[in-house]
Amino acid sequence: MNILRTSIIAVLLALLAFAIFGPITNLLIWSVAETWYFPAKLPQSYGFAFWERVFRPQGNAMESLGNSVLIAVFTVIASLAVAIPAGLALGRGRLPWRSAFLLLFLLPQAFPSLAVHMNIARIFYSLGLNGTYTGVVLVHTIQGLVFSVWIATAAFSAVDRELEEAAANMGASPFTVFRTITLPLALPGLMASAIFVFLISLDEFTGTFFVGVPDVTTMPLLLFTASMEGNYQIASITALILLVPSVGFMLFIERFLKADVLAKVGS
Amino acid sequence: MLSRRASLFLIAPAVVLLGLLFLYPLSYSLIWAFSDEDLGGWGLQNFIKAWGLYSWDVLFTLIIVTLSTLIIGAMSVAIGGYLTLGENRVALTVLRTLYRWPLFIPFVVSAQLMRTFLAKNGMMNNIITSTGLMDPLAAASFLDWRGIVITFVWKQTPFVALLVAGAMAALDRSTIEAARNLGAGRLRILLGIVVPQVGTTLMVGLILSYVVMMSVLSVPLMINAQTPTMITVDMAWRINAYSDYGVANALGFITYAMTAVIAWIYLRQGVREGGRPQ
Amino acid sequence: MALKITNLLASAAIVLAGTGAAQAQNVLNVVSGGSENMVDYVTDYLGPLFEEQNPGWTVKIVGTGAGDAGSQTIMEKLVAQSGNDAWDTDVVVVTQLKAGEMVTDGLLQAYVGDIATGKLATRDTAKVALGTNVEGYVMPMFHSQTAIAYNPDVVANPPKSFDELKAWTAEHPGAFGYNGIKNGMSGVAFTTGWMYAYAGNTDQLMNGPYDPELKAGWDKALTELKAFNENVTFTPGNAGTLDMMNRGEIVMGPVWVDMFYTWQADGRLNPNLKLLLPEPGMPGQPYYYAIPAKAANAEAARKFIELATSPDVQAEGIVKRFNWYPGIDAQHVESTLDKATWDKLFTDVTPADLAAKGKPFPLGPFFDDIREAYEVKVSN
Repeated sequence: MNILRTSIIAVLLALLAFAIFGPITNLLIWSVAETWYFPAKLPQSYGFAFWERVFRPQGNAMESLGNSVLIAVFTVIASLAVAIPAGLALGRGRLPWRSAFLLLFLLPQAFPSLAVHMNIARIFYSLGLNGTYTGVVLVHTIQGLVFSVWIATAAFSAVDRELEEAAANMGASPFTVFRTITLPLALPGLMASAIFVFLISLDEFTGTFFVGVPDVTTMPLLLFTASMEGNYQIASITALILLVPSVGFMLFIERFLKADVLAKVGS
Repeated sequence: MLSRRASLFLIAPAVVLLGLLFLYPLSYSLIWAFSDEDLGGWGLQNFIKAWGLYSWDVLFTLIIVTLSTLIIGAMSVAIGGYLTLGENRVALTVLRTLYRWPLFIPFVVSAQLMRTFLAKNGMMNNIITSTGLMDPLAAASFLDWRGIVITFVWKQTPFVALLVAGAMAALDRSTIEAARNLGAGRLRILLGIVVPQVGTTLMVGLILSYVVMMSVLSVPLMINAQTPTMITVDMAWRINAYSDYGVANALGFITYAMTAVIAWIYLRQGVREGGRPQ
Repeated sequence: MALKITNLLASAAIVLAGTGAAQAQNVLNVVSGGSENMVDYVTDYLGPLFEEQNPGWTVKIVGTGAGDAGSQTIMEKLVAQSGNDAWDTDVVVVTQLKAGEMVTDGLLQAYVGDIATGKLATRDTAKVALGTNVEGYVMPMFHSQTAIAYNPDVVANPPKSFDELKAWTAEHPGAFGYNGIKNGMSGVAFTTGWMYAYAGNTDQLMNGPYDPELKAGWDKALTELKAFNENVTFTPGNAGTLDMMNRGEIVMGPVWVDMFYTWQADGRLNPNLKLLLPEPGMPGQPYYYAIPAKAANAEAARKFIELATSPDVQAEGIVKRFNWYPGIDAQHVESTLDKATWDKLFTDVTPADLAAKGKPFPLGPFFDDIREAYEVKVSN
């Protein structure tokens, strides 16, 4: 019985691993393939020529990567700064038209942005925000707002009210209750939303083009064209490079979260 | 509980940001969608044309996205559930390190990977045939609606699973232990005790996934060679080929309506069940 | 911990502010539609050359992607800043359809008369873009042509005309692939070639005058195309066709010649694959250099385009390094190149082929009619 169960789990995990890493292996192989065409099932020749092409000094890959990461970090800060109060109001407050507000925040993702970006750019040009980092951070924040607001709302409404009331009865001020009870309990959800916002910002293409270019360029500007036109080597290499800050940011958040939440729960 | 005034005050920054930088530009799009060029006034002409040309694509999009959402829901509950209730330490560690990776691959790259993975002579079929499990002649291409669904599930499951697993980990373990002591099976505990308690998070995750899938252009563009196709492809086509913002925006409006209806039903449901819609 | 993060962010903010201020004064901003190698062309060859000849200037290039979609993005960015006095884009590289629309909408400035190389491009496509008069506003960067790519190992006697292709696909169902019309220009080009072959009035389709009644006579051609489609494999996009050839899933399909050569050079296509132009021909189009109406650095932009369309640069950069057909008239380029390089460009498709079977895309309104007719009568 136990052996049967263990082997079922092993088979399921193997299938999952195949499903997840099969496509990713493809990415890894393409990143070092110099010749690969039918009927060969694996590349006929390997090498790093395309890595050299991505990292050639004229290509400005490192500058773009730096921009991407910096913009993503500020996007996370900006979206948390507006989403935490908004989530608090939506999750805990007596808000009139609550559902309507939530539906409103779905808009930036739900309305395919193809036809909207030109108008966003027009507003940004009139505000003098085009070609600035602030402009790009703002346009990314808007795209990420759906995630940060909805997830923050869910996180805050899941917090146990009795704990807050208990603290309030003991004479804690509303802000102290928020700081010591509500926020720490909602933190895992908020951090998850931070990860998603970070990833959205890191992968964003169209908004960056309309608002940032030519002064601010990011990594996906390179990635998008390469991938769409089947330049698999360049696209794979760029995607691999973008993995570094993505995974790094998640690990950072998780460490920060563990240390912080545990410390607060312990005290 | 916050007062009405405090709540409005807290939500104000987000609403102002959204209003100025998105709703205002969006209003131009809506004007385009509802204006009638032939009559020079307002009208539903663009919607009629959009529906006439693309009604199949609207239906196709709805089916694909709904199907993907359901599969994502089932997979993420399974992953989250095993992470919460599983006992095999090795399996837990493997699963935990495994399931998140697609989260970090941008959509456009996911589409590229799946295009080379799922094709007739793609890597998946190559691996399966070289293990002898399948005859090479039986190899088929998945680059149609199935390819889109597979890509969506692959890319979005980790997103929902991450949220759900987080919410499950935060649950009070005492009820779970009590049920277990009473001899309840793990599947019953998962569906009867754990899932209802993380229902909010699960639904939020699924709705957000649904929204994202509705508006992705690169996946149907790079994977689906067949007709019908998804609405975003038609929108891009109207704009790029004909500079027809009217029909494109009408399609955008239809997309949003399809999302809003689902989200609205979910929010109402919460109210009717007596609890707050969360 | 919190303090560390604050410090980190503060220094990041300083870097952000610093980069904004440290922008060099003389930057020429080029935005290019088209494929990645068009961006590489400016990054690696043309940009450095211009910087060398014009000390103090830096060329900055961004690509927006292939087809009308990429050029549409550029147009939208110009529309968005049309209220400003100085636009942030100095040179654009766009497709014919969008160049025509941009001229009509007043987004471009006439400059060809002001540059020394202005008289070197005299082909029709330098003056008319899909029926729109663009004379004076554009210089062709290079000419791009669609053709049928095939694998000679599998197809020893490739079909030489659309008629033969029809018969061939009936015998080999699924071996020919193209990307319909919604998903990239190579499929649109194939459809256009089909219409030139079977819809009649080919000259009128290409040169006008526009007649909205003409489409009534297309039913037979479209029905036959629908029947033809039963035997083809549909591919996801221009790259999708090449991608399926890469894996041997199809052995023949319409491609852009320059893209085909890039795929071969990057090791993604068998170097043995060949190209052919079937009777009565397939369309091609140039990519245009243009200057936005209120470009901040119009003077430098003119210098840049003058350099880009000079015979030497067209020979060395466009033909020799990047395997494109020259944008300016061939005789100016041929004389500066050695014969071997020149012949290499025309290995599969000879200059005579190109002259006889390289067609323009149809007049704008006909083009719309063809695409809508396909949507309604073929893909439904």
